[in-house]
Amino acid sequence: MSDGHLFNNILLGGRGGTNPGQLRVHSGGIAWKKQGGGKVVDLGKGDIAGVTWMKVSRGYQLGVRIKDGLSYKFTGFREQDVGNLTSFIQKTIGITLEEKQLSVSGHNWGEVDINGNMLTFMVGSKQAFEVSLADVAQTQLQGKTDVYLEFHVDDTTGGNEKDSLMDLSFYIPNSNTQFVGDETRP
Amino acid sequence: GDGRGHMKASWELTAYKNVNDIPQAKELVIQVDQKHEAILLPIYGSMVPFHISTVKSVNSNQDNRTCTIRIIFNVPGAPFAPAPDPNSLRNQTAIHLKEITFRSKDPRHSSEVVQLIKTLRRQVASRESEKAERAT
Repeated sequence: MSDGHLFNNILLGGRGGTNPGQLRVHSGGIAWKKQGGGKVVDLGKGDIAGVTWMKVSRGYQLGVRIKDGLSYKFTGFREQDVGNLTSFIQKTIGITLEEKQLSVSGHNWGEVDINGNMLTFMVGSKQAFEVSLADVAQTQLQGKTDVYLEFHVDDTTGGNEKDSLMDLSFYIPNSNTQFVGDETRP
Repeated sequence: GDGRGHMKASWELTAYKNVNDIPQAKELVIQVDQKHEAILLPIYGSMVPFHISTVKSVNSNQDNRTCTIRIIFNVPGAPFAPAPDPNSLRNQTAIHLKEITFRSKDPRHSSEVVQLIKTLRRQVASRESEKAERAT
């Protein structure tokens, strides 16, 4: 198939870091393959639930959420790609891209949103970070206020980065009513 | 820490105004931005900024060839927390990121970045407490 748009050097982000590869957006969906072979992500148009754009420190990031709740992050687009892809995806896949904003204020307080398998930490109306609950090995309630998430340590799927996320915890004050009555999840 | 070392967030606690101000990273690793008094953490393929005054402590641990870097953030109601200031009062019902741990493959980078975070934290803390003393 020759239709669509091809992008080289697009990073797929995950718990362990990022991997470079080639991304193709075509009329049947979105496909990414790792540079040098190996991992392939093939998302059919019928599986895609939502697509977002976000400006990050390294260009633009395309977020693709699929219907089973997983989400993929592709980074490394240029500004001019945004317009082209937005109209192409709308026309062929029938999804309107939403724009998300990265929180740059540096605050460590906000809200937690859980959507499918993705946990998003929001500061104000902006996204600070997003992690996949599918990568969580275990969660623990520590004391009455702390929720601890430990991520799988897996060297085979991890990126080539030096620093990789192991665990994190959230402090949820008693006065926070967002997750009342559900102590097994944040 | 003792209460004195904690920074009163009386000035506007904002690391960056715009995403374009974040330094371009060649590598996705923990970084310290002295100019903006911020640390940048690689979380799921993105560099996420945190203002240095949100950091309570940082330490590293070395075990064979793997290092861990653990960053603990300020949260309300913690022991030795300072008297509530307008900023923290506003945030008392918010969810806070309390702690985050990274595994690092590079012991030199790991000890360097921990040192840089500690130094920056100390500098900003002492500047802010001097400012507070002058104001009284």
